[in-house]
Amino acid sequence: MTAGTVTRAAPEAGLSRAGRLSQIRRVRRPSVLRGFVWLYLLWSLAPVALAILFSFNSGSSVTEWQGFSLRWYVGDPYYSVLHDPALHAAVIQTLRLAVLTTAAAVPIGVLFAIGVHRWRSRQASAWTFLMLLAFVMPELIFGVGIFLLFTNLLTIVRLGTTAQFLALVAWNISWPAIIVRARLQSIGDEYEEAARDLGASSVGAIRRVLLPMLFPAVFASVVLVFAGVIDDFVIVDLLSSNAQSQPMSVIIYTLGAHGGSAAAPALNALATVMFIMSIVTVAAGWAVYRLLTRGERHRAEGLSLSAFTGV
Amino acid sequence: MAGGTVTLNHLTKRFGSQCAVDGICAEITAGEFFSLLGPSGCGKTTTLRMLAGFEDPTSGQIVLDGEDVTHLPPNRRKVNTVFQHYALFPFLDVRANVAFGLKYQHCSKKEISQRVGEALDLVELAPYQRRRPAQLSGGQQQRVALARALVLRPSVLLLDEPLGALDARMRRTLQVELKALQERVGITFIYVTHDQGEALTMSDRVAVMRSGRIVQVANPRAVYDEPADAWVADFLGVSNLMDAVVRTPGNGTRPCRVTVRSFELDARGGTVDVAGQVRLAIRPERVILCGFQESRANLIPGIVERTVFLGSATQVIVHLAVGVTIQALADNASEAASWPPGTPVQACLPADSLRVLPCDPAQQPGESRQAEPAGEPASAVSPAS
Repeated sequence: MTAGTVTRAAPEAGLSRAGRLSQIRRVRRPSVLRGFVWLYLLWSLAPVALAILFSFNSGSSVTEWQGFSLRWYVGDPYYSVLHDPALHAAVIQTLRLAVLTTAAAVPIGVLFAIGVHRWRSRQASAWTFLMLLAFVMPELIFGVGIFLLFTNLLTIVRLGTTAQFLALVAWNISWPAIIVRARLQSIGDEYEEAARDLGASSVGAIRRVLLPMLFPAVFASVVLVFAGVIDDFVIVDLLSSNAQSQPMSVIIYTLGAHGGSAAAPALNALATVMFIMSIVTVAAGWAVYRLLTRGERHRAEGLSLSAFTGV
Repeated sequence: MAGGTVTLNHLTKRFGSQCAVDGICAEITAGEFFSLLGPSGCGKTTTLRMLAGFEDPTSGQIVLDGEDVTHLPPNRRKVNTVFQHYALFPFLDVRANVAFGLKYQHCSKKEISQRVGEALDLVELAPYQRRRPAQLSGGQQQRVALARALVLRPSVLLLDEPLGALDARMRRTLQVELKALQERVGITFIYVTHDQGEALTMSDRVAVMRSGRIVQVANPRAVYDEPADAWVADFLGVSNLMDAVVRTPGNGTRPCRVTVRSFELDARGGTVDVAGQVRLAIRPERVILCGFQESRANLIPGIVERTVFLGSATQVIVHLAVGVTIQALADNASEAASWPPGTPVQACLPADSLRVLPCDPAQQPGESRQAEPAGEPASAVSPAS
């Protein structure tokens, strides 16, 4: 080959037929696979997009576009989210459960993680395994079990907000426990030891050194628990008693299944509100998390969601 | 700042069935630069952690300035540590890092500010005091770690291989700086390392550790020139070792006469008064290579296997007639450096440099040997390797 000619990479002469074939295939882009992924995304998100679109519909049809309006959010005096008492109460209930659960589950989970991390023994690994159960066990089984517990054994706890709160906390402790534990393991023991060497007591070392270093992980746990409770359905449905204790997810299901067409557009609005709540929580949390950990990213992890969720 | 005396009494640490530290005893005088030297797994880091208070000894005692601190938690000992990976708090800047421990000494704000300023001047990092640790180089981080420990005015400073994470040039610079700092500040430094060059350069005394025991304690020159046994001889610098049988044991006046195969040699170094099977040790830089015609004492003929250019000298590898291959160091400009492989030569092993070492460790005169009293200024020793 003379200088100046452009050569294309050709398969090596020494390879077998299969080897040469795979070399050729590697060069072509996987367009079929890509098309399939786009199709799937479209198919799963199209209904959501439609619901959001029709929540801004000025008429009460869910199939025919009649114009843009915020009627179903604030305008309509009977059926809008703001005015309909049932829908209004649902929004409040969702937020109430989300805030309460986060405020309880995150501190307990963080303390659990710190405790298990210090307590090195086989018992400790058993407890960690227990925390992982929430990730692999179907929520329905857990929900039914808690339901039976509260109706037969711990009948002092009536179904309703209290029961929902207790069950949600138990279910969501796993998030901070696992995320903070993973973070602790990557931090290592050196900083705590350094703090104690410099004069801090055990508790002082946790407070002044460990907790500040754990802040991104704690923050990620807060975001995930909060978003998880907004979206939760199974537990809150099983443990709800009357209309007061029905959060958005349950109301949408109930009214959507049995309510009929009159309520439908308001439900779209409610669903959109719920969707926006989740998205905003996660997006804001993600942005703040990346801001907090900007000093630590050196590899080309990019927008690695796995770093955020700790999974 | 006044240095602290440390006494270790039969300090032992077991992890399950494994014995990491096996009853070591040592007396470290105030203001001394004391090194714990040994290969990985010899127990030196465990010993340091027990001194700091992070591990509870299985048995034994640690006495600091006359006070038994064996079971005191780390925050109550007048001892501070410089960790191998510095452990600087990443969310605080340099100034806040250095000031961290002062909170527990109940100082006023003014005093804190003053002491932090002094410590930063000591390590020459005052211009960087508002930076975060991530914005500093390895050597600078190490100095922050030093300042953070020294600002608390401990009696003893423990250093756990602090130069391990730095490149060779930075290491050499910081070795000199650390030594100068220690002399200026005057407190006791206990330094853990596996790098024998480091230990020899900086220490007043070196404790060579092996498998949880202290094998020899002496100043660097004594540990290098008069190793207690063959293992220490081989660990510190390069040593040429060969087996021999004693013909006539020596005493104060006459040397020990040994036989290596059919050759007879005189040896004046080491334990000359033993009999039976022994090992001979000689440093490469003491071996004199001469031509085949020369006649001297203690000559063994051999053939040059190869020469290796080391930069500052040339290493000549010679296969001797007794069946052993030895290394010799020759000046780059000398004749020996240019002999091609296969040249017949003679290796002269001068009697004064030839050490007799007992074969059986049980024949050793004792666990720790102190060749000279501590406190003498350490002379810079350049090891062969």
